[in-house]
Amino acid sequence: MPAASAIKVMVVDDQTSMRAMIRRALQDLGFKDIRDKPSAVEALPAVKADRVHLIISDYNMPDMDGLQFLEAVRADGTIGKTVFIMLTGSADKEVVQKAAALGVNNYVVKPFAPAALKEKIERVFGELT
Amino acid sequence: MARVPIVQGEHHVAGEPGLVISTLLGSCVAACLHDPVAKLGGMNHFLLGEPGDDNPVPKAEMTRYGIHAMELLINGLMKRGAQRSRLRAHLYGGASIVANLGDIGQRNGLFARKFLQTEGIVLDRCELGGTQARKVEFMPYEGRVRSSLVRDVPLPPVAPVKPVVEAESSGELELF
Repeated sequence: MPAASAIKVMVVDDQTSMRAMIRRALQDLGFKDIRDKPSAVEALPAVKADRVHLIISDYNMPDMDGLQFLEAVRADGTIGKTVFIMLTGSADKEVVQKAAALGVNNYVVKPFAPAALKEKIERVFGELT
Repeated sequence: MARVPIVQGEHHVAGEPGLVISTLLGSCVAACLHDPVAKLGGMNHFLLGEPGDDNPVPKAEMTRYGIHAMELLINGLMKRGAQRSRLRAHLYGGASIVANLGDIGQRNGLFARKFLQTEGIVLDRCELGGTQARKVEFMPYEGRVRSSLVRDVPLPPVAPVKPVVEAESSGELELF
């Protein structure tokens, strides 16, 4: 059982309020090292410069969407195996299928409750302590 | 004139001249967002600010929360060509009509104002609070809003909050 406090997380969402809500949910789960960025364009160099264990990224973002971000992460020799959880809208089944093909680890459908985020993280990492 | 009525948990985005989006509010809040360059606008109608760990609302009803209702509205506008930086907002509702609902209307209003401030969206008009229901009519193409206080008009029923029971099949794709 991994300790949530040992997992470094990058949260990427263009909506400040949503980043704050996810941050609070992660803190409640015991995560300590939480970074966030308002765009994939900013998050990509940040996670390359300072690696994280988990990326939680929105799909629907301007400039670089979540799929493009996932593709860029997977194509990178250094950070390519970082756990990637995508946040999608309920009508985005095609996006989920594309994300699965690109190697997403899991996804959470917005709108979601904090418990749903916990469940999806634990399906990848195992039960958090 | 085309009219699109919305109720709690719904939102609508449109850019057709003359179209009116309308709703009836008690303690709920409606945000009207308008992009004056793209000539687009949209309105939502939400019941609560944001979910917590102890939230009693089932997943299918999460759009009752403002944080999600606002995102759906903003994303809907951006998909149609609006730019977040150009959005102008109006807020309505958040009244204290039913005594046993406590300060839910006030908290909804506070959430909405804080959300706009956090997201850097300009608030042009704010009619929150009071003790009466409001009827709001928004013309998204023109960016015009008409709000009126309503006396002795029954509000749409608020669906009872059900315990969290996730459907066995939510229609999601099972990846793992």
